[in-house]
Amino acid sequence: MLLLDVIQAGGGFILIEDTVQCSGRGLLRCFINAALKRGEDVHVLGFESPETEVCAGLDSSCVQRLHFHKGFPDPLGWTRRSSFTVERFASQHITQLIKDTQHAKAAVLVADSLSMVLRHHDPVVFCQTLQELRQGGVIKTIIGLLHSDLHQQGIVGIVCHLASTVISVAPADNERHSVAKTTRRTKSGKVMQEEEYFSVSEDATLSVQAKPRQPGHAQKERDVSEADPTSNLTFNLRLSEEERKAKQKVALPFVFSQEKKSALLKPTPGSGRIVYEPDANDDFDEEDPDDDLDV
Amino acid sequence: MAAPCSNTLTSFQKKTRSKLVSIPGTRPSVQNGQLLVSSGVSSLDYSFFHFIGSLLVMEDRYDSYSRMLLKYFLAEGVVCGHELFLASARDHPDDIIEGQSQPSDPENPGTMKIAWRYQNQPKVQTALASSVRFGHYYDVSKTMEPELRQAAKCHSFYQLQETPVTTGSSPLPSPYHALLKSIQTVIRKEGFDGSTPQSKVRNVLRLGIHSLGSVLWGDDVCCKDNPAHCHALTTFLYILRGLLRTSLSVAMVTVPSHLIQNRAVMGRIIRLSDTAIALESFKGSEETNPLYKDYHGLLHVRQLPRLNCLSCEVPDTKDLAFKLKRKQFTIERLHLPPDLSETVSRVSKTELAAGCGTTAMGNKHLDF
Repeated sequence: MLLLDVIQAGGGFILIEDTVQCSGRGLLRCFINAALKRGEDVHVLGFESPETEVCAGLDSSCVQRLHFHKGFPDPLGWTRRSSFTVERFASQHITQLIKDTQHAKAAVLVADSLSMVLRHHDPVVFCQTLQELRQGGVIKTIIGLLHSDLHQQGIVGIVCHLASTVISVAPADNERHSVAKTTRRTKSGKVMQEEEYFSVSEDATLSVQAKPRQPGHAQKERDVSEADPTSNLTFNLRLSEEERKAKQKVALPFVFSQEKKSALLKPTPGSGRIVYEPDANDDFDEEDPDDDLDV
Repeated sequence: MAAPCSNTLTSFQKKTRSKLVSIPGTRPSVQNGQLLVSSGVSSLDYSFFHFIGSLLVMEDRYDSYSRMLLKYFLAEGVVCGHELFLASARDHPDDIIEGQSQPSDPENPGTMKIAWRYQNQPKVQTALASSVRFGHYYDVSKTMEPELRQAAKCHSFYQLQETPVTTGSSPLPSPYHALLKSIQTVIRKEGFDGSTPQSKVRNVLRLGIHSLGSVLWGDDVCCKDNPAHCHALTTFLYILRGLLRTSLSVAMVTVPSHLIQNRAVMGRIIRLSDTAIALESFKGSEETNPLYKDYHGLLHVRQLPRLNCLSCEVPDTKDLAFKLKRKQFTIERLHLPPDLSETVSRVSKTELAAGCGTTAMGNKHLDF
């Protein structure tokens, strides 16, 4: 269950990619819930949804570790009612924001959503900001929601390339569930991929079901256990223990001792030489090698 | 008229009595006398007659195998005693260096009981093996010992830690400019361009640049069709080639080509490197072609080196695939496995029966 592993472990830059057909905000709430239960400080930059929607149903005992920075309903700061605007998405502002809280241990930064930030920042600067935040040491995990149908494919591509885990959500045929395709890249370069059904409950807990494999995939997973060829025969091809031991004791011809073997195995220089001594009758003419020209 | 000579399995070694003192880890090419170094992967060396100038690796989708090639390249440098220069924007260079593999002996299939005379022969199946071993084998499952790693001199360039410099009139964005300046400084200071006195032992500098052209290098060629600095990457490669030609250095550059939107830029980048290969990994694609079931990806040859000669040596096959076994990364020729199905045409039983005099039976299974 790769999705569950990713949620439990955290770490790195996790990107949730959604579209208008299936929202990834439910999955985002599951991540927040799991991080709070792990005892980590969670900072949410809310540009698209109000606090009530994002934090609904979360465990009340952990809520004091959740810091919601209000951007919605005024993410660009036009009426000056928000505490954190989109243009303040820069590494120094965010690092300061996190250091201002009392317990500054392994912090988790959640961005709802990154699409809002990308629309108002240069993609190159945005990616560099993310990289600085990752390597800064103050933030352990960055979780971002990206609406892939709002951006050009190139921009979605570079943000996915930067992420260590990408989860794409899509609607499933089943109304109650959605499909999540998770791609996780470990530090050593190993890549794991899985596609699963999931659903999010009211109290932000995730239930995951493995996706039943389609017939096309079934061929790959088929057991390659062949039938035992020594069965169903009219003669006996098997060996009993005593027969096996006797067989191994048989002295093979041309079996040398170990020293003679290694001596023979040593590469000798000039092991293939052709020694040609021309006979008296040999009159090798370069221009007439077959000696059949009538010249 | 000279026929194009095919891939040479030659053990011919040119006798050099030249002024150039022999540098460890290099050997002169049989074809044109250029110095060759090993790329770290023996089967890659065999395909491209070892390794000259700059090698461009177009990354696979998740950058797992291109990173591995870079690590092999650097590990080969450590083992041969070359100097290393590693530049990266995403992961810290130390992480890449620490992940290098431990050199080991080639796979020994174990002592054979009956065919012991063939024990030391390489397993010549589809793995490309040269009769003259030039590179070393690396055990991927083990990381290199720290003593070996620290014995090599390594310079690193981590983009995140560099202070941005105002470049003024330079056509390059600041990170590329800084990187080129750093490379040039190392070449001059350590004397790879011949500027130091003759007493110092000559050595080769191996440059490894990871993910050039990605967004973290300050280049927007990956995210836009019409990037603002559309010539930045090509200018960088051009200047890099100039630096490589005037010094004893080789470079391996990996580029996330799957992100570059502009096809024209890709073409220019390939032309500006000496050798270019593209890695295509099967991970993530629903590959059910039975031909590919043993392999982890394909290796496409995009450009072959052609230094100081009119034509290049073309390998006999361009269908190459790679696989990562538990311990080793190998590149093999793509081939059809033997067809063992029952539909293969066989000499029919009636023909055999006429010859042997036995009655022909329709039964396929062995029966006595």
